[in-house]
Amino acid sequence: MRQQNAPMPPLKTVGHATPRIDAAERVTGKATYTNDVRLPGMLYARILRSAHPHARIRRIDISKALALPGVKTILTHENCEIVWGAGGISGGQQYNDDIKKITKHRRYVFNNPVRFVGDPVAAVAAVNRHVAEEALRLIQVDYEVLNFVLEPEEALKPDAVKIWPEGNLSLNAQNQAQPATTRRGNVEDGFRASDVVFEDRYTTTFVHNAQMEPRSCIATWEGDKLTLYTPTQGISNCRSDTARDLGIPQEKVQIICQYMGGGFGNKNQNQDADLITAMLSKQAGAPVKLEFTRKDDFIGVHGRWPTVQYYKVGVTRDGVLKAIQLRGYSGMGPYRKNTGAIGGIDLYQCPHIESVIYPVYTNKTVSGNFRGPEYPQGFYGIESMMDDVAYKLKMDPVEFILKNMTRKSRDEVPYTNYSLEECIHRGAEAFEWKKRWRPQPGSDGGPIKRGAGVSFMAFRSALGRSNAVIRLDAKGKYSVFVGVTDIGAGAKTTMAMIAAEALAVPLSKVEVVWGDTDRCPYSVGESGSRTTIQTGYAVIQAADALKRQIAEKGLPTGQNVLVGSASPNPVLDGKVRAAFGAHFVEVEVDTDLGTVRVLKYLAVHDSGRIMNPLAAKSQIKGGAIMGIGMALHEDLIYDRRNGQPLTAGFYGARLMTHRDAPEIEVMFIESDDGYGPYGAKSIGESSKVPAVAAVANAVFNAIGRRMKDLPITRDKILGALA
Amino acid sequence: MKSFANSNARDLQHAVTLAQQTRQQGHAAAFVGGGSDLLALVKERIVGPDVLVNLKTIKGLDQVKPANDGVNIGGLITLDALSRHDLIRTRYTVLAEAAETVATPQIRNVGTLAGNVCQRPWCWYFRNGFPCYKNGGNTCFSFVGENQFHAIFGGGPSYIVHPSDTAVALLALDAKFRIAGPSGERILPAAEFFALPQQNPARENVLAPDEALAEIQVPVTRMGTRSTYHKIMDREAWTHAVVSAAVVLEMDKQVCRSARVVLGGVAPIPWRLPKVEQMLAGQRINEALAAKAAETALEGAKPLAKNAYKVPLTKGVVRRTLLELAARG
Repeated sequence: MRQQNAPMPPLKTVGHATPRIDAAERVTGKATYTNDVRLPGMLYARILRSAHPHARIRRIDISKALALPGVKTILTHENCEIVWGAGGISGGQQYNDDIKKITKHRRYVFNNPVRFVGDPVAAVAAVNRHVAEEALRLIQVDYEVLNFVLEPEEALKPDAVKIWPEGNLSLNAQNQAQPATTRRGNVEDGFRASDVVFEDRYTTTFVHNAQMEPRSCIATWEGDKLTLYTPTQGISNCRSDTARDLGIPQEKVQIICQYMGGGFGNKNQNQDADLITAMLSKQAGAPVKLEFTRKDDFIGVHGRWPTVQYYKVGVTRDGVLKAIQLRGYSGMGPYRKNTGAIGGIDLYQCPHIESVIYPVYTNKTVSGNFRGPEYPQGFYGIESMMDDVAYKLKMDPVEFILKNMTRKSRDEVPYTNYSLEECIHRGAEAFEWKKRWRPQPGSDGGPIKRGAGVSFMAFRSALGRSNAVIRLDAKGKYSVFVGVTDIGAGAKTTMAMIAAEALAVPLSKVEVVWGDTDRCPYSVGESGSRTTIQTGYAVIQAADALKRQIAEKGLPTGQNVLVGSASPNPVLDGKVRAAFGAHFVEVEVDTDLGTVRVLKYLAVHDSGRIMNPLAAKSQIKGGAIMGIGMALHEDLIYDRRNGQPLTAGFYGARLMTHRDAPEIEVMFIESDDGYGPYGAKSIGESSKVPAVAAVANAVFNAIGRRMKDLPITRDKILGALA
Repeated sequence: MKSFANSNARDLQHAVTLAQQTRQQGHAAAFVGGGSDLLALVKERIVGPDVLVNLKTIKGLDQVKPANDGVNIGGLITLDALSRHDLIRTRYTVLAEAAETVATPQIRNVGTLAGNVCQRPWCWYFRNGFPCYKNGGNTCFSFVGENQFHAIFGGGPSYIVHPSDTAVALLALDAKFRIAGPSGERILPAAEFFALPQQNPARENVLAPDEALAEIQVPVTRMGTRSTYHKIMDREAWTHAVVSAAVVLEMDKQVCRSARVVLGGVAPIPWRLPKVEQMLAGQRINEALAAKAAETALEGAKPLAKNAYKVPLTKGVVRRTLLELAARG
């Protein structure tokens, strides 16, 4: 094991900016994305979704739709009763068969009652898309419309309609209706020990993952074997989930995901689309392709959970934290697809902490995984709050952060390495914080005002189980078999680079076989920013195994091959592994027009050793841009009177365009803590985590008004300044 | 998408005849130019024409033709071509600037001037298929609903805002619209082409069934005229005006001889400000006058629950646009 923060000798392939090994296929249209797959005799499918936020289906009449020439089969809750395990489970945990078994609030692929606008009611397979779409209009659904509730705090009021019989507080992993509670010390003691106590409320909204590729799925059966072509972030989990949900053995399910257009967390596990397509195909006796429209994708999959966050913070006059209390409400939609946690307060050194989070059912679109699931919204809340406390104590926010930020995980467990102070010091210097930050917020003369904001983060970089197989043939070709998909972060290229490094061969000698459960071993999949750490480590181990074989048997000749494989499950020695980062933002606010422009953006990250600087920088930029979008633009607005979403889609949700994206400067502080492949830590999700808060804090510094509700749009800025 | 037939029109009269025949057979017809708005509406099943009468096959209707008293612009000219046209850029700057703010390069490459002027509203209730006035119903959901982007002038019973950028510029240029229809052609001043919801809450203009906007005639601008279009968007591309201003000033050295000021994004039609125009005529435009004009511009504004911010925003836009244009030499 290497020393913490030991100097890192340069490597041959790893660490060098490397274009994707499949870049040419992607930009020339040769790459086969899921929706490019066409099978002989394939049918096309469309989904009819609930037009009501909450309704009981009295009757569905599909006779007219079935009579339409070209319609092959129709599924509804009456003829397709399948539980979608990953769609809603007690506690919102994932990858856990035991909890899925005890889950009371089960989500079926077709539910009755339907509980949000977009809940699938029926699916049609027909000879072409247009017939399938026409058929949806001929399905007659007799609804008994029920009351609905959209906001989590309202949903907990006694007179609110119950979305589930046990009420609207989602059940935890023990099936108890209890909020998720974390305590350290005693906050009341902490408040008594404080000189000043501050309280405030922050809210965040539902934002959609908005990945470029809308969901589509192709299913085909050969005998009792199901093959699904589907855009998934994890072929292994998609297979085990699909097999469990359909009640068939895992080896009878093949998942294929070659090229894909992003997911940011909403293509984890399997999806209802996979199950629906599989069942349509089975019933029709033909391959079926299901395609989501952009609107289907916005309302039918999931996005980030909206939150309401009440903070109470106690500090001494010289700015030492004594107590942090959070009472939070997360809107989960009507099914529990994730924890609904609100992260962030654990990143402050503080003797007394209490966090009570209520994951609440509502009749809005479902919430689930989205890049750093519990953090960007939580950090916006806590780091706006702390920024505000710093100003009220007349402290520079950078000084306040340095005084109070985490040194050990939850103040107890040491990190494998620690570079947060360095991230902040070096970032503040490179950004020229002292020059850009206004000690007196909103003090610029004239209508156009500038200001600077900062935020920081630590993000899990845990180790874990994975597998890799490397085969060497007589021609000297190394084939790396890994169960990764390429969600956009460049996993395929990263795996090839790690293999080339470990084998000490040129990158051109390495090919990667990926994205097919029949050809590749288990991988955790592209979630939790774990692929490089876990599967990358397995690749090194497999390379070592192969090198031992070569040493023993010599290079293969003729038809012979040599195979090295590994299934490591490394563990940490009682430490916590985290990536660290700090973002610095300068904005300009036109106070006449309410326009916010990001002028300068610096992201400083310690993600361990950087495998591919080209891909890593893009990950940071992408996350920062997403964070700016969440801070200033995006929202799924609902009509309160009828529970309908109004802004589903790229136009309505006001997603950022290229012209809105500022230049993002990226600075890496590299280290090797002795774990992971060559010291690699997580990147992908962490870059979004501090971005929202940093932008919001910069807006405050510019205009002197604290924006407590996301997104910080023109109407709110002009309203605050009125 | 609902299936439809395509009929290519040879000329305007043929287009009108095709539409008329379709209707007489009990089917729905729609004129299509670039199709960027219409096809989206068809896909969302907001409209369901059986026959698309294709105007793009009509020759010569995409030209800018100088005329004695100004310029005639074929309705089929793409927004991209319009925004790049030398004569339009130099003499009718406000129109070129308005055209180049529309949507995205892809849409400007196919979207036409006539199509942009006749574009249906982008109210989220209408586009999401709510049974509102625009969709054949008898209510406006925005009035007591989500009305962040809705009208502060001229609303009721519908509170949409007119979505077209070029329409705002054309009213500021005092354009006339040549319309082809079953009983021949008629020419209407821009001010009479757009219709408030009080007149007909289902539509945004006075085009009768089977009528098509064929050409736009813009009168000559006098010496010393300068113009500009200022559009406030909630992102840098592909969105409609939150508020916009088209301003045409006829200047005599530092003095404004006459002015035309029209707002977009604030009313169900392009919203002209005659009082402001009178206030500017014969004056030097300085900070004080621009501020007074901005105050006057917002007289009578009736914000809804969620769009009060449009009042200070519009003031800012009017004041700055006037000052900026007056300072241009």
